[in-house]
Amino acid sequence: MTVSIVSLLFGGVVGYLGQRSRMCSIGGLRDFVLVRDTALLKGALALAVSAWVGFGVVRLIVGSDAGHGLLAAGTTPSGLTAVAAILVGAVLLGFIATLSGACPLRQHVLAGQGRVGAWYFLGGFYIMAIVYTSWIEPHIGSWVL
Amino acid sequence: MTTEAVTPKRESVDLDVRARAGRLSRSPVFYGIAIGLLAVAVGQWGHVSPPAAYGLCSACHGRDLSSWLLNHIEGKHLFITAAGAGWPVLTVVGVVLGSLAAAKRNGEFGSINIGGNARMFIYGGIVMGAALFVGGCPTRILIRTGFGDVAGILALGGVAAGIVAATVSMRWVARR
Repeated sequence: MTVSIVSLLFGGVVGYLGQRSRMCSIGGLRDFVLVRDTALLKGALALAVSAWVGFGVVRLIVGSDAGHGLLAAGTTPSGLTAVAAILVGAVLLGFIATLSGACPLRQHVLAGQGRVGAWYFLGGFYIMAIVYTSWIEPHIGSWVL
Repeated sequence: MTTEAVTPKRESVDLDVRARAGRLSRSPVFYGIAIGLLAVAVGQWGHVSPPAAYGLCSACHGRDLSSWLLNHIEGKHLFITAAGAGWPVLTVVGVVLGSLAAAKRNGEFGSINIGGNARMFIYGGIVMGAALFVGGCPTRILIRTGFGDVAGILALGGVAAGIVAATVSMRWVARR
């Protein structure tokens, strides 16, 4: 109950601000490489830094269930295979997301403001979600949640 | 390749408060700070918790929602994280509705078809597969990096390499 209400409201805030600011988490680096425009890159940096500060404050208040250091406990990928798999998957994610023009969250925002290509993107997105959880994940498991 | 880079006009300094607040919502830095802090708070106190740093993610929350729907309609037993197992996580619906509201309110709503839709469909599938594989969409990878997740930092490096490679190759194709 709480999950649905909180996540719906938070999603609304993200969608509103995302539509106004044109924020995209891969667009920052793309614009910097292409035309040396740092506006979106600063936004992505602010997101990571404010999340870092926020988690630090939460660890101080709650008394930490996830380690006191800079790195969270128990999140290190186990073994060279996992590291290589994450790197390969992430390179693929960045490459294809850049070709499609925006990061997945930005595609949701574009779909809300009426871009037809974003609707097709989301169609493939959710069909692949079902395919992945039904047939791919049982074979390879999920070492990262 | 979309042209989304906004170059706001330099306005006079003495704006009234309302115009100032309206301009604030157009700043990517304000978006980053507000959404980063809110995502931490939602993940910690909004019951969107069992995987750590789970406050905002388009791929994982979309997976949770689609799996929840299939489990409840078709009676399947697909994987859902503990956060979205009882009641569904509706972040992706909220994002689309919030963006729709913002676009309607500011007169930017309109159906734009720039073609290449079959290609976008394929791209969507590949992006979802890769995002579920590395454990989050690029936005959650940034949040995980702030959380101090080694997998998140690795994924961030990989995504950055992928973006640079794609941008350079697109420029190379365009100039050829």
